[in-house]
This record gives sequence, structure tokens and C-alpha cells, in this order.
Amino acid sequence: MAQRIRLIAAAAALAAACGAGAQQPAPVGDPQEAHKKIAMCEGCHGIPGYRTAYPDVYHVPKLGGQQAAYLIAALNAYRSGQRSHPSMRGIAASLSDKDIADLAAYYAGGHK
Amino acid sequence: MSRVLFAAAMLVLAAGVQARGSAEAGKAKAAQVCAACHGADGAKPTAPENPILAGQYYDYLVKALSDYKSGKRANALMKGFAEPLSKKEIEDLAAWFASQKSNLHFQR
Repeated sequence: MAQRIRLIAAAAALAAACGAGAQQPAPVGDPQEAHKKIAMCEGCHGIPGYRTAYPDVYHVPKLGGQQAAYLIAALNAYRSGQRSHPSMRGIAASLSDKDIADLAAYYAGGHK
Repeated sequence: MSRVLFAAAMLVLAAGVQARGSAEAGKAKAAQVCAACHGADGAKPTAPENPILAGQYYDYLVKALSDYKSGKRANALMKGFAEPLSKKEIEDLAAWFASQKSNLHFQR
């Protein structure tokens, strides 16, 4: 019985170690890299005063100068489906972690 | 006739653009509910993952708070704050934050 507990503990420790080893560091955003990626954002966020027409009518939010960590959290939430805007979910689904970090750095940095 | 209709349409459009909430009432409410995380005027959040609200579009802020309240935008923390707010309080808060200044700006 004691041996079995030790075995389970060892397996758990191994699993934890593998998990830690597999974790990638969060990518660092590069605003210059984002220049190649903002085309898909500009269609709505790049038009002054643009309003979404579906599912509701309201101004798409201003992104320039927003906090990078918030922008990353928002894009992750769209990508995971936690946030439900149809177009934003579609776009976020195509983004890698690096893409998201680059876009967040671009908008947060206030690059005109 | 068509000029009257046009004038009426312009009035409706203008009303739609204008914030309906009271920024003054929103300021008082914001001090109690929002300031601890977003800053009193919404320009200086106290944590990097909290968004800047100052200068954001009025109707986007109304939409965000309404979605937190209904649970459509799932965020346990924000739901707790938004759920007790009335439609009027949401509009007041949106009017307050939309009228404040920050680095937030339109960016292509």
C-alpha cells in the first residue's frame, strides 16, 4: 500500500515536471511585426467612427493607447470563445500567441 | 415635406450620437464601484490587464457593461459589479468615462 502511494506520488511529480517543462514563455510583442498583421483589424478598427452592424450597432472600441495586457486578454477570450462577437471570434481563431502579442504591442504603443 | 423629413432624420441621428447618460451621476457611481481597478477617471487602471475606459466610445461602454450584467460577456469579477447596475446607471457610467481624457485614441 505504502509502495503504491509512493508510486502514485512519483508519477504525479513526473507529470508536474513534464507540464512545467512543456510550458513556453509568453512571446514578447513586436509592434514592427504587427504591421504585417493589422490588415484584418483595419477593416473595422481602422475606420474612424466605425460601428458594428451585427449583432448590435455600436462603435467598435478605440484600441490605440489601450493596455497591452488587456488587449492580449481580450484576444485570448475571443479565441477561446469566452467572448462571443462573431467576427472577432473568427479573426482571433486565426491568431497565434505571437500574433496576439505583436498586435497588442502595436496598439498599446500608440503607433500612428 | 422632404426637407422636414430630412431635418427630423438629422435630429434622430444627432440624438443617437449624443450620450444619454449623466456624466455627473456617473462620476459619483464610478468613485464607489469602478475606481479601485480602473482609476477614478478610468485613465489609470491599477493593473495591466484592466482596460483604460477614459475616452472610450459611449455606446461601446454601454454594450460592455450590459453584456457583463447579462452574462453574455462572461467575467465573474465584472459580473459582480455590473449585475446590480440599472440601465440608467450603466448609461451614466458610460457617459462619465467616455467624457474623460486618456491616451486612448483611434488608431489605424
